[in-house]
Amino acid sequence: MRIQLVEDEKKVADIIERGLKAERFAVDVYHDGQSAWEAADIYNFDLIILDLMLPKLSGTEVLEKIRRKNQQVPILILTARDGMADKIKNFETGADDYLTKPFAFAELLLRVKALLRRGPVNRASVVRVADLEIDRLSQNVKRGGKKIELTAKEYSLLEYLATNPGRVFSRTMIIEHVWDQSFQGLTNIVDVYVRHLREKVDDAFSVKLLRTVRGVGYSLNDEVQT
Amino acid sequence: MNPRSISFRLVAWYASWLAGIFLLLSAVLYLDLRHFLENDVRQAQSRRAHQIANALLTHVKQTGEANVASQTKDWYEPEINDRFIRITRADGTIFYASGQPNDGSFNPAEVPDFTPSSQLEYSRKLKLSGGKTLLLVGLNVQSPGNPSYLVEFGELLDPVETMLKHLFLQLAFGLPLAVFIIAGGGFLLLRRALTPVEQITRAAERITQHNLSERLPVARTGDELARLSVSLNRMIARLDEAFQNSKRFVADASHDLRTPLTILRGELESFAEDARLTAELRERAASMLEEAVHLSKIVEQLFTLSRLDAGEARTEWTRFDLAELAKITADQMNLLAEDKGISISCETSQTMPVEGDRVRLKQVVVNLLDNAIKYTPEKGAIQLRVHGVNGHAILEVKDNGIGIPSEALPHVFERFYRVDKTRSGESESAGLGLSIVKSICAAHGAEVEAESNVGSGSCFRIKLTAAKH
Repeated sequence: MRIQLVEDEKKVADIIERGLKAERFAVDVYHDGQSAWEAADIYNFDLIILDLMLPKLSGTEVLEKIRRKNQQVPILILTARDGMADKIKNFETGADDYLTKPFAFAELLLRVKALLRRGPVNRASVVRVADLEIDRLSQNVKRGGKKIELTAKEYSLLEYLATNPGRVFSRTMIIEHVWDQSFQGLTNIVDVYVRHLREKVDDAFSVKLLRTVRGVGYSLNDEVQT
Repeated sequence: MNPRSISFRLVAWYASWLAGIFLLLSAVLYLDLRHFLENDVRQAQSRRAHQIANALLTHVKQTGEANVASQTKDWYEPEINDRFIRITRADGTIFYASGQPNDGSFNPAEVPDFTPSSQLEYSRKLKLSGGKTLLLVGLNVQSPGNPSYLVEFGELLDPVETMLKHLFLQLAFGLPLAVFIIAGGGFLLLRRALTPVEQITRAAERITQHNLSERLPVARTGDELARLSVSLNRMIARLDEAFQNSKRFVADASHDLRTPLTILRGELESFAEDARLTAELRERAASMLEEAVHLSKIVEQLFTLSRLDAGEARTEWTRFDLAELAKITADQMNLLAEDKGISISCETSQTMPVEGDRVRLKQVVVNLLDNAIKYTPEKGAIQLRVHGVNGHAILEVKDNGIGIPSEALPHVFERFYRVDKTRSGESESAGLGLSIVKSICAAHGAEVEAESNVGSGSCFRIKLTAAKH
């Protein structure tokens, strides 16, 4: 998988590049809009991560140029500006996803994977993590064959974490997915729900599946904790 | 007609001055004319009386009284000329009196008898029947060696009075008419001149911070109003620029703060998960990461506030049920409260339709409930109420927590304000939650108020305009 990363802030580019390379992606980094567009014109990237504020050619212009060639390549926009008007304009121009700085790298990685996977997504009705079974159709959760009663919110939280076992989800991502953006300032609600979920899912078992990654977020993990 | 409008006040002011000046001029004219005309009549009588005295009465010894009488009658023919002539002796007996005038305009018998006067010459007005006035001039004649006489000459003031009456009528009708015409004309003229003011006012009402690119109409009259609208337009242009500058500043500041935060978080994140580091170092990196995340959150909230100030909330208005929103939010926050053993009771009317940005108004409910949960001790109770009062939707969050001291109450909505820095459970928040509530409410034209008693709890109340059914 070859990813084009267009980011003029060298340090930000560096962090993303290292992170993506650690996940075994091939990464081509460009620091200005002009060279990024020229490269995108020649090579077939699998994904483009595009910052909006770029020298020479702005991110929006690059986006327009790429889309005018009718390329189907997924494009993830990174921006330090937010505001609905900007967001809507870029989605209309053809951005596939949008991430506002500062973000947790874990979140960027999840979105990159989601975009690359876009075609065949794991739609299996039953998700298994170690001895935990989540049935998406009946919304039944079992562990070690025993049924666990969950509230609706606890279930959405668990199901969301189970979409990508082993991957860390930031509190912001969890809030946006399980609650909505009105809860933005209220990340402690995630902690409370995770604790309740833990009582039901982990307390009775020696292997703990719900893992806290301090400062980052939570993950559902079947590896033994270190 | 608005009695405080410029045109009304101006017209009223000059119309009353005009009426006053007209009235004064008319009074002077009327009185002066009357005086002049009466004087004219009086002088004529006086001249005739003197003539009789000088030409006839000085020779009365030689000619005899009868001759004087017949001479007088011949000269003046009072009956034909409608005059009154009477000559009285010093003892009060009349030796000549004119008869009834031929046209019967007055009756000489009505003229009272002479009354002796020390004055040499005098005049008086006599009111006769039929509303007529007789101007009477009396002359005491004393020539040496002759007996003294009183010569009286009189003439009706009829023509003078008719003329004055006519003048009075003309003034009484003409004057108000003139004032009315001038005031009416002035009013129309002023209204035409002030039409641009009305247009400018209406255009100015339309201009808010969201359409500062609009301009006021400029009247092409080249007068003071045209200059005023040009100046106002320049002022709006300066405001527009200031708003644009502050928006640009927020955008730039947002970029300049977010980029280093991204780097900081990215680096710390990779440290926190780097298996090559010792557990203790990873723990420290994680602790720093937590602070970086906290910092990001504060920056986010600050941008939320500046976006609200810039009028962002207007863009996504929909109509929704506030009662339902409150119920859903209370439900979603319930576990957070339950965790502290706090109960949230939700009391709402059937439906309470309002118009606004649903996401933002939900944030208001979330922040208020979060605030209540934070400052209510374990086993406390929070009441969430939504009800309608006089076309307003009221949302109330009431707790039985620690309360807010009265001196701190006016400041709770200020940015970064904290009632007491030592209060527990606050390490997570930056003191921006309630400012965001206030800004969202301001963007919705809603009122927000807080009541509190230390020890017994606080109550926050939002008053929104209810949408029409």
